[in-house]
This record gives sequence, C-alpha cells and structure tokens, in this order.
Amino acid sequence: MKLRAALLVIACALLLLAAVFVGPRLAGAQGQFIVWQLRVPRVLVGVLVGATLALVGAVFQALFQNPLATSDTVGTTAGATVGALFALALDGSRTVQGLPLVTVCAFGGALGASLLVASFASSRTAHSSDVLLAGIAVTLATSALASGIQYVSDSRALFAATQWSLGQLPQVGYRGVLLLAPICALSCTLLLLLTRPLQAFALGEDLAHSQGVNVPRLRLFALGLGSLGVAACVAWCGPIAFVGLIVPHLVRRLLGSSYRVLLPMSLCVGATLLVSCDAFARLIVPGRELPVGIVTAALGAPALVLLVARGRR
Amino acid sequence: MAKLEFVDLSVKLGERTLLDGITLSLAPGEFVALIGPNGAGKTTLLKTALALRTPTSGSVRLAGASVAELSARKRAGLIAWLPQHIRTEEPVTGLESVAAARYRFSESHAHSRRAAERALGRVGASAYAERRVTELSGGERQRVAFACLVAQEAETLLFDEPANHLDPAQQLDVYRLLGELWREGRSILCINHDVNLLHHLGDGGRATRGRVVGLRGGRFVFDVPFDSPALPAQVGALFGMDVESLQGSEQRFIVPRSRSTR
Repeated sequence: MKLRAALLVIACALLLLAAVFVGPRLAGAQGQFIVWQLRVPRVLVGVLVGATLALVGAVFQALFQNPLATSDTVGTTAGATVGALFALALDGSRTVQGLPLVTVCAFGGALGASLLVASFASSRTAHSSDVLLAGIAVTLATSALASGIQYVSDSRALFAATQWSLGQLPQVGYRGVLLLAPICALSCTLLLLLTRPLQAFALGEDLAHSQGVNVPRLRLFALGLGSLGVAACVAWCGPIAFVGLIVPHLVRRLLGSSYRVLLPMSLCVGATLLVSCDAFARLIVPGRELPVGIVTAALGAPALVLLVARGRR
Repeated sequence: MAKLEFVDLSVKLGERTLLDGITLSLAPGEFVALIGPNGAGKTTLLKTALALRTPTSGSVRLAGASVAELSARKRAGLIAWLPQHIRTEEPVTGLESVAAARYRFSESHAHSRRAAERALGRVGASAYAERRVTELSGGERQRVAFACLVAQEAETLLFDEPANHLDPAQQLDVYRLLGELWREGRSILCINHDVNLLHHLGDGGRATRGRVVGLRGGRFVFDVPFDSPALPAQVGALFGMDVESLQGSEQRFIVPRSRSTR
C-alpha cells in the first residue's frame, strides 16, 4: 500500500512537469515568455484548484457519509454563479481594487450560500441528511435567483455568463497564484487536520458522537473551511465539474478508505488530474483552447459510472 | 467510577410519548438487562444517556453531571455504545474503524492501531482487521463495532441487542464477553430479548447483582434481580405471553408457550 501510494505521488509529479511542455513547440525569447509567464502560472493555478476541489470533495463525502456529496451539494457553486451573473449583468469588465468584479462577486456569492448551509449545520439537532437537504434548498433558491438575473440581462452578458459557467483555468499570472495560494493552503491544511474525527464518521455520525467527536463543531469547521477554499477556486475559474466528485472515488479504488491516505492523495491526484485535463484541452482542437470544464465533465461522467459500477461488485 | 442515573425522564416526539417518567440508576459495576416489546422505548433510553436525544423533561446524569453538559470527549471516556445496526457506505477496513474509535485518546496513530488490534483479538474479530466493513455480513460488522466499543475503554457500556444478527454459538460468545467486561468492573446496560442468555454472563455468585428491567410503552414496568422467582411471570405479562419456566441442569429457562388470550 505504501509502495502504491509512493508510485502514485511520483506519477503525479511527472505528469505535472510534463503538462508545462504540452502544446505547440516553443523556441526563442517568445517561447521562454510563454512557458514562464503563461504556462507555469496556469499550471500552478490548476494545481491549487484541482487539489482544493478534490480534497473538499473527499472531506464532504466523509462528512455526509454520501458518495455523491461535493462542494456543489452545499450550495457553494450555485452561490458563486449568482454572484458572477450579477457582476456580468452590471458590467463584466469592471474591477474592484484591481480584481475583476466577476471574481469578487462570485467569491461573495459562494461564501454567502455556504454560510447559510453551515449555520444550519452547526445546530445541535441537525443530522447530516438535514444539512444535505438545506444545501439542496439553497442551491435551488440561488438557481431561481440566477435565472431571474439572466432574464433581465442583455445578450452580451448572457454570452459571458455561458463562458464563465463552462469553467476554465484563466490566465491570471503570478498575481492570481499569489491571491489564490494562501486561501487554498489555509483551507487544505486545516481540513487535513480533521482527518481523525472524520475517520470516526465512517461508521456513522451517531457512533462518532458517542466516541467523543463534537459533531456540530466538526461539521461547521469542515463546511466552513471547505467552502472557503472552493469559493476562491470557483471565483477565479468558474464551476469545474467532476474533479471533487471523481478523484476521491478513484483514490479509494486504488488505495482504500483510510482517510490518512485518502485525503492527502486526493489532493495530489486532484491537482494532477485538473492540470492534465487542461493540457489535453490545449491539444484537442488545434489552434484553439477548450475550457477545461468541458474536458473534466466529458471524461468525468463516464469514468464515475465505471468506478461506481466496478466498486459495487 | 461513574454512576448513570435517569431521573423522571420523559421524551416526547410531537404527540407521541416515547418515554414517560423513567427513573432508573446503574451503579458502578452493576448489570441491568433492559427488556420490553418492540417500540417500548429501550433504544431511546440508551440514546438519552449518550446525549443523542434530548429529554423533554427530567434528566440523565453521568458521574454526577448532566450528560448534555459534558464535553464530547469527557463523555466518551465515561460511556460507550454498541448500536443495533451499523450502516456504512465507506469501504474502510475493520482495523481502521476500530482505531478511529480511540478518538478520545491523544495518542499516535501507531498506538491507536495496536490498541485496535488488541480489541479485535479480544472480540474474536482479528480476521476482519484487513477486510472492508462494507464487505462484512451484518453479524461480522457487529463484531467490528464491538471491538470499537472495547477500544474506547469507557467505564459504562451500553449495548443495543448485542446478539442481534448472530448465530446461537456466537450469541454465547458475546454474552461470555459481556460477563468478562462486567467482572472487570464496568457497569453495563444491555437491551436484550432473551433473558435465558443472561446465564452465559457466567459466575453464578455475581449473577445475583444483575437486574432485569421491564419497559413497555415508554413506561417502567418492573425491576427484579436475575434470579427472582417472579421473573417468568413478569416476562410473560410484559410481552403478553403465557410462559413456562423450565429447570435445566444448570439454569432456568423461560420459554413462551402461546400468546395470552385476554
């Protein structure tokens, strides 16, 4: 098992390195610029976003004891969408303190929606299934709000909104990396510290409670920290489907369900998967780039069906 | 050692009364077998002791404090629980599940694993250490949960039908193990459907310190020693059956004959 985990980490590192060099051949000063100023920061954003989405997916699946839970389930993505649509309807090119208004509003929307769910989750009497329901309710309500905004938006804003909703790794340069890195690092590090109480959840929430886990507090911490990280990712990249859902299942198949392995390895594999998908998206249509969200969704859906079908046997 | 006390405890769920004015105490080192028809409120009673259910009135006290006010970790050192069912979707191994039950201890993972190995060995579940709990049968999974309870090393132990899902030979194993834990000085509150199994706790001299408590419709019905001559009639009345009391070579058997005609 340790050997397998080590091999997987090495494979991830090699793939990440390779992703920098995938694309049209580059040479000379222009090539240097493209590699160091465009590709490397983009790979770094991919690493941060992929790692965060996958780890949060694994944590939420553990927390809700539900193999289908992701950050989408608790309203984070839906909240970000409302924020982004709102900003695009106002004026897509506006900036706040040098940051795109879309990013700021998406971040705010994501945090707002998740805080609603998290405040419900910290109640003493709420059960995991109640929290999931609250997440679905918030998602539905924000979707209605999003439809309303789209209804009053003009066609340019609508096109921009469609683009945003596909999910892509943007060219944000090192500044974007520096803004994203501390939030993702904080969220992931603190989530990894919750490994032990989360493991107790594997045999059920009530048993974990009887074993000494403070269930409402754990739920509040995990939801709050997870949503914070995901909100930052979604704000920059839009909703990127399936990474949070599929990576934990993939790691489970390869390495089992000990969270001491599953959580950090989800982080590694998530980073690699997203960056690889993005490199693939550069190649698939010559001369054009596909949004990485399309690639992850196209690959993710059949892969998930396969994993779940094989896991059931 | 911790004393567990239910004081005039009532639990209502909407219009339904699940528990109605239960007063019961479990002194250190005592064994109480809790019996009663389905829906009598037995599981609810255990859950109030774990602060999984909040009393509508009355209180549950553990080591002199209200269970709702104890910190989760402190409570976990005083009281542990074997639930009736373990449902899980997570394909975690038996050993990892039991190691996770050591949450209340501040210790290294290696230490937790060693304690988990010992606990699995003690309940005869070492074979399940590396198997995924999702692949185990109901009875096997119950064994793993039993090992979790042992690994938690609490003073008071709550069991919700520990012989559920088990074949007769394994039922005897479980009650022998309960007897061992009892003799180590732990207090035990055990929901049970077959009073005849109590004989297998062993140690006839000590058996007189065990009690059987009957519950029906959320109300307290009786509280008698294991060996009380009144027990067969009490059990019959509690379940609405005519029972026969047969003297075997080593123990008395209480056997249902027919449903009471009322």
